[in-house]
Amino acid sequence: MTFFDILRNYRQGFASGLLVTTKLALLVWSIGIACGLLIGFLADKYRRLVGIPMVVFAFLLSGVPIIVLLFWAHFPLQVLLGVVIDPFITAVWVLALVNAFSVADAVRGVLRDFPEEYITAAKVCGLNHRTTLLRIKFPIVLRQLIPPLLNIQVTMLQATIFGSLISVEEIFRVAQGVNASVYQPVKIYSALALFFLVICLPLNGLALFLKSRFTRNLSDR
Amino acid sequence: MLKAENLTKSFGGERVLEDICIEVNPGKFTFLIGPSGAGKTTLLRCLALLEVPEKGTIQIDQHAHHFPAAKNSRIHPPWPELTVVFQQHFLWPHLTIRENILLPLKEKLSSGGTSFEELVTLFDMDRFVDRYPNEASLGERQRAALARALILNPRYILLDEITSSLDVEQVNHLFYHLLELRRRGIGILLITHQLDFARGLLKSGNGDEAVFLDRGRILEKGGADMLENPVSPRVRQFLGQLQYVP
Repeated sequence: MTFFDILRNYRQGFASGLLVTTKLALLVWSIGIACGLLIGFLADKYRRLVGIPMVVFAFLLSGVPIIVLLFWAHFPLQVLLGVVIDPFITAVWVLALVNAFSVADAVRGVLRDFPEEYITAAKVCGLNHRTTLLRIKFPIVLRQLIPPLLNIQVTMLQATIFGSLISVEEIFRVAQGVNASVYQPVKIYSALALFFLVICLPLNGLALFLKSRFTRNLSDR
Repeated sequence: MLKAENLTKSFGGERVLEDICIEVNPGKFTFLIGPSGAGKTTLLRCLALLEVPEKGTIQIDQHAHHFPAAKNSRIHPPWPELTVVFQQHFLWPHLTIRENILLPLKEKLSSGGTSFEELVTLFDMDRFVDRYPNEASLGERQRAALARALILNPRYILLDEITSSLDVEQVNHLFYHLLELRRRGIGILLITHQLDFARGLLKSGNGDEAVFLDRGRILEKGGADMLENPVSPRVRQFLGQLQYVP
């Protein structure tokens, strides 16, 4: 059976796995980025109230592998709470949580390192608060933030395959199932690697490009 | 008139300015001289209301700011009528030099001062005006920072060692332009180690003044005499050393 035969015969399975992976990634990205931006900005504004707890929680999260978190949220947590949650929902919230705190940490770091002198320069040039935020602070912060943000999202996309371990029918689990039937691991897992490469490589490339294009040298201080 | 009286400022319990009285008059130069760490930049930032003094009064034309400020009192922002050019320039890195200079103008209906084209010619910025700050040399950035301040037609301009990255020709060019600003009635506070320029102006007796600051205190102030024959031994020692700097 050729590679294309496998794709043709199991196209429905692959398509549904791809759809689940896409849905999972989009939800993890959107929830994680939205919450992460909010937490990051709040952590910078209210350093004691939000900033310190955020740093501690992000530090703890970074110390636990994602796969352990997923298992913990899927089995013991649900037993403790006496609930049964759909594995897809569990995967979305666990990955979104990790994403949110990674994004928040990046946002907090960029805001913390923002050279306040640029705001001082805006003040003495008579720029009002709104213009200073929109034309000075926001564009500089965004340019510093986009490359790490893209890198985090690539990592989160790759982390969606852990969903297969708690029975989420995403692309990796589908590939495992197909391989169990046809036993063509080289072809199937190469195709899977190619799939992730096709999506992740341009994102990584974009991150690199944006970093070189927009992350201006801030040494003019 | 920009005037400070009995200005005191501390950082972390360490007194960096003590009982400072200084004036910057329209159409006059005030040269602020002193060793590194004397508190010159802190004084400049206090005068520009970028730092809040612990004690004293800062009067900017008709607005008097008393410190410590009363609760709920609001500082009347003096910018850009009073503006500052920093030693480190602080050009916005995501904007080209042209955009850096023109952005503040968008907040004002008209500059009423030197036009953008005039400034480009004056500071010979044709070659680099469309570059980003990190693509320009230190001297080019310094000229751009000065142009950004001048386009706003300030009444007072506070300059923090702005000649430190310029070559002799550019320094002469800049001083020529500063004289023109003085002629237009702009009050200029200049932190500088370029004593020849200060000496030359002070000798002409136009009411310009030099102020010597050391360890947060004004040791001496006055006209050309102060630079020629300082009374304070510390001022004499410092100025004596400057004469040997090539």
